[in-house]
Amino acid sequence: MDTVLIPLFLGIALGVGLYAGAIPQGDRSWWRFAAATVALAVAARLAGHSWTATLLASAAELVAVGMVWSGGTDAARAAARKYLTAVVLATLCTWAALALTGLGTLRPGAPWDKLAVALLLIGVALKLGLVPVYFWLPAVARASSAMTTALIVAVVDVGAFCELLTLRETAPWIFTGFAPLWIGLAVLSLLGAALLALAQRALKPMLAFSSIDDMGYLLLGLVIGGADGMAGAWFGILGHALGKIVLFGAVGAAEWHLGRAVTLDDRGLSTPLPVASAAFMLGALGFIGIPPTLGFIGHWRLYLAGAELGGPLLLTVLYASSAMALLCYVRVIHRVWLGPAAAGPAVGTGGQPLPRVAAAVLLVFAVAPVLFGLAPNRLRPTLDPHPHVAELTGPLVANPLGGVK
Amino acid sequence: MTSTTLPILLLLGGFVLQLLLARWLTPVGKGVLATAVVFASFLASLTLVPASMAGVAAEAMLLPGWDGPLSIGLRVDGLSVLFMVMGTGIGAAILLFSVRYMEHEEQGTTRFYAIMLVFIAGLLLLAGAADMLGAYMAWEVIGLCSYSLVGFWYKQKAATDGARKVLVITHLAGYGFLVGLVLVYARAGTLAWTDPAVASAFTSGVAALFIVAAMAKSVMFPLHTWIPEAMNAPTPVSALLHSACYVKAGVYLIARMYVVGGGQWHEAMGTPLLAVGCVTILVGVIFAMAQTDLKRLLAFHTVSQLGYIVVGLALGTDLGLAAGLFYCLSHALFKGTLFMCAGAIQHATGTRDLRDLGGLASAMPGTAKVWIIAAASIAGVPLTNGFVAKWLLFSAALDKGLLVVVLVGWIGSILTAFSFLKATVNAFYGVPSKALLGRPVHEASPSMLTGMGSMAGLCLLFGVAPQLLMLPIVAPAVRSLGFDWAVEMSWLGILTDRGTIAVTVGGGVVLASAMLGLLVYRLAQAPAPGLVSVYSGGEPLPAGDRPGAVDFAEMAETAFHPVYSLDPDPGYLRIWRALTRVAGAAQTAAGAVLEDRPLLPIGLVAIAALAGVWLV
Repeated sequence: MDTVLIPLFLGIALGVGLYAGAIPQGDRSWWRFAAATVALAVAARLAGHSWTATLLASAAELVAVGMVWSGGTDAARAAARKYLTAVVLATLCTWAALALTGLGTLRPGAPWDKLAVALLLIGVALKLGLVPVYFWLPAVARASSAMTTALIVAVVDVGAFCELLTLRETAPWIFTGFAPLWIGLAVLSLLGAALLALAQRALKPMLAFSSIDDMGYLLLGLVIGGADGMAGAWFGILGHALGKIVLFGAVGAAEWHLGRAVTLDDRGLSTPLPVASAAFMLGALGFIGIPPTLGFIGHWRLYLAGAELGGPLLLTVLYASSAMALLCYVRVIHRVWLGPAAAGPAVGTGGQPLPRVAAAVLLVFAVAPVLFGLAPNRLRPTLDPHPHVAELTGPLVANPLGGVK
Repeated sequence: MTSTTLPILLLLGGFVLQLLLARWLTPVGKGVLATAVVFASFLASLTLVPASMAGVAAEAMLLPGWDGPLSIGLRVDGLSVLFMVMGTGIGAAILLFSVRYMEHEEQGTTRFYAIMLVFIAGLLLLAGAADMLGAYMAWEVIGLCSYSLVGFWYKQKAATDGARKVLVITHLAGYGFLVGLVLVYARAGTLAWTDPAVASAFTSGVAALFIVAAMAKSVMFPLHTWIPEAMNAPTPVSALLHSACYVKAGVYLIARMYVVGGGQWHEAMGTPLLAVGCVTILVGVIFAMAQTDLKRLLAFHTVSQLGYIVVGLALGTDLGLAAGLFYCLSHALFKGTLFMCAGAIQHATGTRDLRDLGGLASAMPGTAKVWIIAAASIAGVPLTNGFVAKWLLFSAALDKGLLVVVLVGWIGSILTAFSFLKATVNAFYGVPSKALLGRPVHEASPSMLTGMGSMAGLCLLFGVAPQLLMLPIVAPAVRSLGFDWAVEMSWLGILTDRGTIAVTVGGGVVLASAMLGLLVYRLAQAPAPGLVSVYSGGEPLPAGDRPGAVDFAEMAETAFHPVYSLDPDPGYLRIWRALTRVAGAAQTAAGAVLEDRPLLPIGLVAIAALAGVWLV
């Protein structure tokens, strides 16, 4: 059993549930979709690396579309349509790729192996919202409640990425044989999304672009592989999940307080919302990869993997992306949270204090990356691979379809 | 727990206690607790001195099995002990000062003291880290603490702007440290400072990356511009930041690099570093002269003084290292004292603007005495540790035949003296300004005076008997970096071997010149007060005015005016604006092409992927 991701997903579900109980994120249908999304994602992890898991993960993605749709506004429905487009196409491409490769157990003969890789590349890019096919994620972030996007990023996307990690072990040829393509996709995402994040004025789409940027990092680690690359991707994705819950949660708290979307024009929210402010800062620092957070445990290894593969050039790319992410988050912290408070909330249900339960959730998720950063071994996966993976990673044998198994 | 880890664990224990007892302790109680903890840590650090004098590097695990095969361990040698003693000793004095300084703070004192303790613990961990990864973690912890403390008054824009600048400049440059250690690990498979494999992987490029990171922390030109903006923090923070815990991190890193491969980096990077140090000496002091805010003035002097320290380390000789490290300790003492005096003045008068001060020597005699000792020390007046530090530095430069360095240091010293004469006269002498009229100005509290007075006393003690610091602290540090200790020093810091003749003759000439000037001044007929018989178009000019320290400072400001255009901030601002413009343009294009027409990017990716897999 996956002793890290399943507890993580359940913990996220509990936290989001408590938070949404205090700060409403949607109507009854939202609760049903959210619960189903997490349940299917957990079930997929329980099923291991198999077709059942793939089906369950795809179902989780489709149900997550419902979560967005339940927002009820025109913008929400438009975003849901975009998300649905991405999910359907990604599912078709990924399934086709997995079918061609027997879930990564075999390498079909040319040209089917190339086709499988191309399909997987498209599917992964759409699923994770990588540049340039990121169209759905900022739209979802703009139109949905904070925890809707957080669940999609921290559970659905994390599940998809972890499935990719397994595929990296079972079918390394997909990544090593076509590394320039994967690296190009990763670099495009981490630079492009970091740059686009800087251009955002609203916080939720900014966080969405920041997620894409981080996914670029993690994909790079995954493609490079090796002990450092894989560990970097693993710790990085865990930090990503925890960090996004905190960041979206804090912004959601600010929206609750102001009664509208939070932008760079807002000021001094740390005065009315000190806990949310502290949580956002901790989450941002973890996301940037500052020690002693879990983000650092992942990031320094990703730098290492980058150095081993691409030397100073790739390190420069990583540095540029990190620098832009730092500038982006620091600007938000200092314009929106710190400094003198604005005169008062302008519209809506403004001025509401942060409910204690929501504050507690934010604090727990903000402190967790620091504690895990001090004891990262607690998050290491069990040494024995999943039985399915162990079976699949045996010696290569002749494949009747013309490739090797 | 071992004696090696004890200083750090005490501080972390104090941090936990601050959090646990926050509800029950008053601000004064929290301050007393923090002071006691840091003092205990100081005593624990002192217990490490005998081993370091014996040349033993004590090893201990702090976080065994932290991350897979990696552990966070300590290897405490002479250099570590120097920084540990400095951090805890200065920290204890500053926290003692804080007890009364922070007692009226309405909220945030738990945060303040808790972060101060982690701040000092971070320096200890940096100094004692057995490998580069542990050092980098400590490096960033120090950075985060500094960021939080500079932005302590987070509801004030000036404070948060200062904190933002600290974080951005030091962290962006700090990536140099991370990238450097990653390159070392990729090549060597280990990060231990003393591992021979690390030495072979520690190229000049890696050294340059480390130096860039150190330059930002240690306010070397052109990465120094964050420090004056960080002055909107509580004074104890400024004192700790400037004296012991933050700017010295970069100094530590430069010194620590000498253990890697016998200081092989120095061959390629020594001269550039020396040049940076020299430029920093001059730029710092010239900018300091133009300041009227007392803390900003001190901040720019930190820039200049750090230039001296880095020059000492960049010389790459035992004498240079001794000078740099002794200067490092001396600077911690006199700069910590000066900042606490500035804080006491602000506490008493409500301002730190030199234009609004004056005549404080009568109302604050204790503070005035402490200030004068520390100001004399930074200016390099004999009988103070500042004099010994400069003497050593000039000796080391002459020993290496670098007359230019001596000249730069000498000019810097003269300008420093002018700057501090101006500050001293404006703050403590003359008549009180209009801003102070009717305001009850009080002397600093006994605990504040004890905190800053104890450090001023040490400035004198180590000025008279520098051996007390040299033999147990500085010599083991120099030896731990792989150099032989061949520095013979007598009372008052007079060298009795290398460099002796040159510096002594030079010093004699300077002293004779000063005495001659004094003689001329005394023998000359003092102008009688009265009016000068020159028609000026209005009121007659008063006679008897002689040029004073303030006039000299203003003359220098005028003379050096072109230097003020060397401010790198406008350049940084242009980079930021260009970046945001590019980001805005990218968003406009991406919004129209990639977000509004999803099928287009999907089609593009599909074509690129299909073409790519056939091309790869």
